[in-house]
Parts: sequence; C-alpha cells; structure tokens
Amino acid sequence: MRFGNKDLARYPFLREALSYVTKNEFKIEDLDNSEFYHLVEKAKRKIEDYVFEGKLAYQIDYNKTHEIIVQEEVIIFLISLLLIKSISIDSVTKKFALFESMRFERYLISDLDNSNQDDKTVKLILYKIFEDLFQTKVDLEVDIFNFYKIKISDYLDHPIAFQEREWNLVNRTVDKGYVYLDGSEIVRLFRNELYLLIIDRIKKMNPEVLPDMIISISDSLKSRWEKMYPPLRAPGHQDILPPCIQHIYNQIDKGENLSHPARVLLGTFLIYTNKSMEEMIDLFKRLPDYNEQITRYQLEHLAGKRGNTKQYFVPSCEKIKLNNLCFETVVCKGISNPTQLIYRKSSK
Amino acid sequence: MTSPTTSSHTSSSSDKLKDSITDSFNYPHSVEDDPNKIWLEKVFRKHYFNSSSEIELDNYVSEHEFGFRLFDGYIRRHLNFKNKRELIASIIKFSPSDIFCSPARYQHPSASMDQKGWIGADLIFDIDGKDLQLDCARIHNMTFCKNCKLIEKEVHTSCSKCNSSMVQIVELPCQNCIRNLKKEVTKLVEVLHDDFGIENNSINIFFSGNNGFHIHVVDESFFNLSSMKRSSLTQYLLGRGYLVDNLGFRIDKSDNITMLPNKIYYNKGWRARLLSRLHLQLKNHRIDDKFMRKITQIKETNKIGISGVINNQIQNISVKIDPNVTIDIHRIFRLAGTINSKSGLVKSRVNNLTTFDPFKESCIREDALVKLDAFVDTKLFFNGTSYKIKTGINNIPEFVAVYIISKGIGDIYIEKLK
Repeated sequence: MRFGNKDLARYPFLREALSYVTKNEFKIEDLDNSEFYHLVEKAKRKIEDYVFEGKLAYQIDYNKTHEIIVQEEVIIFLISLLLIKSISIDSVTKKFALFESMRFERYLISDLDNSNQDDKTVKLILYKIFEDLFQTKVDLEVDIFNFYKIKISDYLDHPIAFQEREWNLVNRTVDKGYVYLDGSEIVRLFRNELYLLIIDRIKKMNPEVLPDMIISISDSLKSRWEKMYPPLRAPGHQDILPPCIQHIYNQIDKGENLSHPARVLLGTFLIYTNKSMEEMIDLFKRLPDYNEQITRYQLEHLAGKRGNTKQYFVPSCEKIKLNNLCFETVVCKGISNPTQLIYRKSSK
Repeated sequence: MTSPTTSSHTSSSSDKLKDSITDSFNYPHSVEDDPNKIWLEKVFRKHYFNSSSEIELDNYVSEHEFGFRLFDGYIRRHLNFKNKRELIASIIKFSPSDIFCSPARYQHPSASMDQKGWIGADLIFDIDGKDLQLDCARIHNMTFCKNCKLIEKEVHTSCSKCNSSMVQIVELPCQNCIRNLKKEVTKLVEVLHDDFGIENNSINIFFSGNNGFHIHVVDESFFNLSSMKRSSLTQYLLGRGYLVDNLGFRIDKSDNITMLPNKIYYNKGWRARLLSRLHLQLKNHRIDDKFMRKITQIKETNKIGISGVINNQIQNISVKIDPNVTIDIHRIFRLAGTINSKSGLVKSRVNNLTTFDPFKESCIREDALVKLDAFVDTKLFFNGTSYKIKTGINNIPEFVAVYIISKGIGDIYIEKLK
C-alpha cells in the first residue's frame, strides 16, 4: 500500500518520499544550477523564519502536479538540512529541528482531524512514521475511543518518557501491557521523536563537496546569527555564579531547551540579581521555543508584577536537587539556596 | 529479611566479599571457635543433602552467576556451574550460609562484571517487612545492643543498659506481618497482570525466607529491559511522581479544585484504582458535573483537604517494593529453595498465597532434639506447635533451634566433657 503523493509532500523525511528524488538521479551538486534557485531560496527563507523570527510561516505550494510537489518538498527539506549542517551551530540546529518538527506536527494534527475513523491513509502514515523512523509499533484501538496503544517496553524507548513528568509511565494510562495515548498525545510523541530524528540526520550528513550556493548562504546566515547572539557570558557575577545557574547558561549556549523548573530557577535568579526585563528577555530569546509574549508574562509573574502579586524566591537547593538541576561543587558547601553564594561573596 | 546482594563490589554493604573462585576452594569451613556456626553449617549440609530437590533452577543454569556466602561471612561471587548436579555437589561440599543466583543470564557468568556479556534478566521484586513499618513489629521485634550484647524486647533506638546507640533490630515477624506482606504481594500481582499484561503463570511468588516476599517474573517482553526502564516500572508501582491532573482536575496550593479541559479519561490503571478508592465514577470515561460535585464534597468533608485525601489513597494503592532490587540488573538474588541464614527458613515457592504459612511451609525438615541456651523468653509457633522458649537451656527440635540461633537470641548448647 502506498501513500498518495500529496501526503508524501507533507512528510518529506519518509524513505518513500526520498525515492521521488533519487529515482530522478538528483545530486547535491545540481543545486548550483539555476533551476534549483527557487528551492534554495525557499529553504533559506524557511530557516530565517524559524531561527531569526521564531515564526512557522512555511507553506507548501500545491499549485503544481503531485509529482513535482513531492520532489520539490523533499529537495527543500534536503537543502534545509544541508544549510543547517553547513552553519554548524548547535543552537541553530536545535532551533531549526524544533520548528521543523512543529511544522510536521501541524500537518499530522490536521490530517488526523480531517480524517474519519476509517481513513486508512492517515492511520497508515502514523504507523509508517512510527515503524520506519522510530521502530515503534502503534496500534489503533477503534473500540476504545480511537486511542493509540504502544507496548510498554516500546514506549519506554522514547526519551520523552523519562524527560517530562507528565510523560513518565506513572502518569500514563497503562493497561494489559500497553500505554494508551489519545490523538494529541501521539502527535506530541511524534513531534518529540521527529525533533531528535532531524538533529540526528543533520549530524550524520557528510557531503563530500557542498555547492557554492549552499556555502555562501550558510555563511551569511551564520554571521547574522553570531552578530545577533554573541557567545553567552553569564551576567555580572561570573566568579560567584552558582553551578546550577552556570549549567543552565551552558545549556542555553548549546541551544538546548530548558525544562519548566529550569526556567523558573533561572528567572527567579535573574530577578534576584536585579536584571532588567530586557536583559532577561535577551537571554530567554536564545531558547529554541522562545515566545516573547509568554516569556514576558511569566517573568512578570515570577517578579510578582502579575497575578497574585506574590514574588517568587529562588528555589532552595533541596528543590533544585529534586528537579535534577543541581550540579553541586565545593563552592556549594554549607548553602541551602544558590543566592547564598552571592551573599557570601558580596559580604566578604 | 536478607537483602539481596547488590552488584556493586564497592558498595557500602557490610557483606564481606571475595571474588576469586579459588578462594572458595581454600575455605577452611566455619570459624573454628564459633560453635553456633559449626553447628549451623552441619545442619545446613544435612538439609541440602536430604532436600536438594527443593532448589529451583531454570533451564539455563550455566548462564547464571551464582554467589555463596559461607560461614566465614564472606561472599564468593562470579561462580558458575555447568548444570544443577554440579551446583548441588558444590552446595553440599561448602554448605553455604546463603546461596544467591543472578536473575540475569550472561555469556560469561564467571567473568568480571564488565566482561560478563549481559543477555537479559528476569524481572524481580522484593517486598520487605521492614518497609511496611507495622505497629506490631515495634512490639514483637527485639533490640540487640552491639556494645553490651544485651537483648531487649521491643524496638529501642538505644540500649537501656549502656545507653549505646549501636543497636540492631532482631526481626521476629508475626502472622500480622505476614498478612500485611501478602496484601502487598496481592497488589503487586494485580498491577503486573492488569496493567503490565503479565500472565499469572509467569508470576512466581516466593517467601523470602525471613520477613518478606520475592516475586520473579519470567516473561520475554520484560527480559531485555534496561535498568532505566525497570526504574520506570518501579516508579509506576510506587506511584512516585503521580500527577493529580490525570484525574481530570487540578488542585492548587490552597486546595482549590479546577476542572481541566474535558476529554476522554480512559479509566484504567492508576486512574481507575484511585477513582475507585475515592468512590468516584467517570461516566463513559468523561468527567461530568456529578463527578465535580462529589470531589467538592470530599474536599469539604475532610479535614486534610482533597490533596491529603488523594495522597493518602496513593500511599494505600502503591506497592511497597524495594526499587533498588528491581533496578539492579546485575544483582544476585537469593536462590529459591535455599535457606536464609537470617532465619533458618527456606525461600520457598508460594502456590496459594491465601493459605500460605511460612512458619509451616518454609521450615527445614531436620527435627532431632537439641539443647539450646536461649538469651530471652520468647514464644514461637512452628509446624502447628507452639514453643515456649525460656531463658536458659531448652530441649527443642533442630528447625526451631536454627531459627533462634540465626536470629541471634540463643546459642547451641554443647555439654563440656568432664
């Protein structure tokens, strides 16, 4: 059984989609030919939207024949990966992977929403994605409210089961050896896995020669990024920065996303050290899933300027440990809250 | 109950460890000046000679790592036997105080830990009486002072004679302890079967030989699970990190209840157990006004608030397993059908949990009368007979004497030659 062409255009990372370009003997070197310029330009614009604007504005152009739509989408996807590989900055890679996985997540949600119970194509896409890419067998339980089920052991192969509390096995519906997920949860699982897969594909890309066009665009994107986000220096108290906060800075520097408790720790710490809203926003801006409105709201909430006007204090070392955010060193001896390090230093 | 032995050689465990197999062959038998150990070693040997068929092994004896703790107190690990016959010959020869076998199978079981070539491991669970913190245990257990050697009835944090805090609890489980342990086993089996989908005939229940139960799951789907995945299973059983949001509502710090966006809450697993305990019903797997009214009612009629009520129920539902035992995939675990030296009782298979009586079904058979010098008065019930032990010399069957000596509350009495 095969997908329709249109479906493959929305999922260009599938092996079956890739075959649409390989059968036409497409080579990376061809990208220097003018006939591909519009595709390179589209990939560049997509990356700019993702990494500089934090926008998901990409649209598939459906005004062509099905065959061409798929070919173009696969090539644009490949060009994007090449550009990101060539830029070779962890934060850029992660931000790109996050947005790209969110884009595919949107397609999947809309496909699932538009499908009825008997829509075999959509189910097939889901099964195919999970089996081909994530080596996970997913079953649909038509008799149980269309829940998807995954064997416990297979479910635990997915890193998300250990990363986020609501995804821990104890917080899942488990029955007769299976973990049950509803439509939106299976899509969330899909996005998380796809994010990791895209990063993995970029890492594994090793083209012998990169077309000049790709090098020149990636160079310009790289210098724009470096100008926008110079290497991160911990503000102010470098010599007394608590190791837990330093670790968060390192994570941000590597382009990693932060867990909710890590964001609260960083936010309360920055507020405690009298950072201005703009200084704090500048830091949070580097997170792959940055959203200015939400960040501003949450920081104001922590500072007690919103909601119940209660200012949140920096969490205790005990709480930090509970959230696996403690990276204790000798400097931490005898403290019960990271702020004590600042107090200790400034009182000397 | 004897803790199953951890895989770490450098663990803080008080177990003394000798790695080399050859060490065991130089074993000089029990410490010469300790009559208790000499006597126990003799009785254990007699038991294994007569009852070796009780030892339970799977079909992969040569792929397991074995460990012997001998009466010199040292554990010899990384032992490997070609077959059951070879193992039993070795057991009779050395008469170990405790015999362990890895739930894991290896390509090279006798190699050092990093060279063993882990194939997989059965899923094991340990339910220990200590973890239940029962009220009765504080009364019937005893306290042994390591400093002045005084043995006192009941549990104390320091010695009443010399005030030393170097005290050790002597566990003497009663029928109430066993009843409560069985309840935990029942809860565990229910989750293993209903939630994890494990067939009942793959779940093997054993009395640990002292104050607990061991559950061995022999199921292909779980054999290859990594330590991390097993950790997830233990968190599930313990209910650690459970989010109330799973019930369809949220409770804030002031105990206010907010309904979450209504969706289908498939009423299975933890959700079903918790809601049933709270006497709440989901109509067609959805939350309705009646459900919310009932929640509010529970909140208003309980002094501890809704969070308190739910947390108490999570505690009641959770299975009191020792997670470290399940997570450690290189551990050696007491072999079924062998004697636990902390009690002299056998780790024995439980065929009917309801009727199982460890003080009957786990006793060794050796019953010749022996003289025992007891340190305290105590009453014991074995094989349907009550034994009133008086401080001083008692004439009792071997299996009772083994229990008392293993518990450290009496010595074997050897008449001196005139």
